[in-house]
Amino acid sequence: MKSTEEQIKTLLARHSFPPLGVVIPILEKAGQGEKELACQIHDTYASLANGLTQILDLKDRNMKTLAKMYEIILGHEGAKFEPIELSESRFSFTVSDCPMMHVGRNVGTQAKSKFCDLICGAAAEALVTTTVGSESVCSWDKALIKGTGKCKVSFTSGKKK
Amino acid sequence: MSRLRNTLSVILILALGGTLATLLFVSNAIRSMNYGDLRTVLTTTTATFGSLLGIITAGLMFTHGKFSELASELSEKSPDYLSGMLSLDKVQRIGNCLLSLRKISSQLETETTIEKEKDLYRRITENASSMFVDFAVLMNLRLQQQGLRDTGFMVSEMDPPLHAKYQEARKTIRKEWQIVETIKRIVDTWEGPTSFISEKLDTRNSLQSDLKSFITILELKEKIDKNSKNIRNEVAKALADVEDEVGKIIKILHEDRIPQLLSQMDHASTIRGKYFYLALMFIATPLFANLIILPQLSEGTMQFFQPIISATSSLSVMGVLFLLLYIRKILNV
Repeated sequence: MKSTEEQIKTLLARHSFPPLGVVIPILEKAGQGEKELACQIHDTYASLANGLTQILDLKDRNMKTLAKMYEIILGHEGAKFEPIELSESRFSFTVSDCPMMHVGRNVGTQAKSKFCDLICGAAAEALVTTTVGSESVCSWDKALIKGTGKCKVSFTSGKKK
Repeated sequence: MSRLRNTLSVILILALGGTLATLLFVSNAIRSMNYGDLRTVLTTTTATFGSLLGIITAGLMFTHGKFSELASELSEKSPDYLSGMLSLDKVQRIGNCLLSLRKISSQLETETTIEKEKDLYRRITENASSMFVDFAVLMNLRLQQQGLRDTGFMVSEMDPPLHAKYQEARKTIRKEWQIVETIKRIVDTWEGPTSFISEKLDTRNSLQSDLKSFITILELKEKIDKNSKNIRNEVAKALADVEDEVGKIIKILHEDRIPQLLSQMDHASTIRGKYFYLALMFIATPLFANLIILPQLSEGTMQFFQPIISATSSLSVMGVLFLLLYIRKILNV
């Protein structure tokens, strides 16, 4: 019987993020690849969220569960997570690292911005759907790729527009 | 009582030593000495400082050796404590209880107008926060030990001030033995410091006793406020849960004599620190005498250097007295 920590470790290793060498060329070329990539990311994070829910026995579908998911996943990805607010209707935090910070100068801002919209968007949607339900809105200020500080991510309960 | 007597006797001896040294200093400063005498005084003082430095260095090495021995004993135990005592489920359970206590007490703190009650709630909030932060730090270390990357497992439930405390607490853990120190701090916050060996007299209220007072207040309030019953049940449940989990940790900690070992380490560290500063002083003064005063000392400069030489010779007398006082402490380390 594996310990909880070992189960989390195995799960995180099984559902890992696709390598940047694969992601960046797709983001640089607009086309069908983007959609496929977003779907793949969505599936990866949905599986991850489902797995973590089972391992940690997170029965409640609320912001607290979403927060727990984020801190584990971001911690595993090496991004530093700092909480700002956690209430029944809102969850926000800052991250001080993002894979796009470590790419070469030849990667344009447009591709970096697409990373936020496609990759982070797909991951956030998968996590929200699994842990809170679909009626939540996620927003982020892209501060890291703009070079203006830590990226602030917020989730608010409410119908999607 | 014996502690008070010891302190009084130390103060008395130091005062006597101080008076003697001052008298020597004043008499030497007033009496005019000839060049040969002054040179002899300076050389003797330098030699005394040198001998004392030798003894102090030996003491410093001895206390450092003792400190390292205790540190390695605790470091050996730390990984077992981390893996055996703090399972993820257990820490999650305790964390949830502490957060719920923190939420209730901080809410009631804003509502009540009675100062003593406010103080009680404030203490509960602070102690629950402190315990939560310490558990979060240990949890993070445990996850790292299990091969998971820097996962702040309890971070998402922290508000920004609590997160700042967590970051600070994480930075303070640099050595493995500090893991045991953190566990001891959790136990102290929960049940209050119980070590009789402790040098410091700690009068902090424990979280456990404060929660019992809290429940008593809520019982009294039940007659006028029905909501108090629900809060009381919640607090009583959290108290029982944490008591159960932390109780197991306390039992193992006492079986392994961890509080005594940490107290000895603290004692050795204090004496080591004092030795260090003494050694610095006893290195600096002879250097000052030998390198600056002695080469310049001529019949002409004698008058100018006489007060400094008197001061250093008085210092060497005080140094001998101080060392005699400390011999007992060295032997107790």
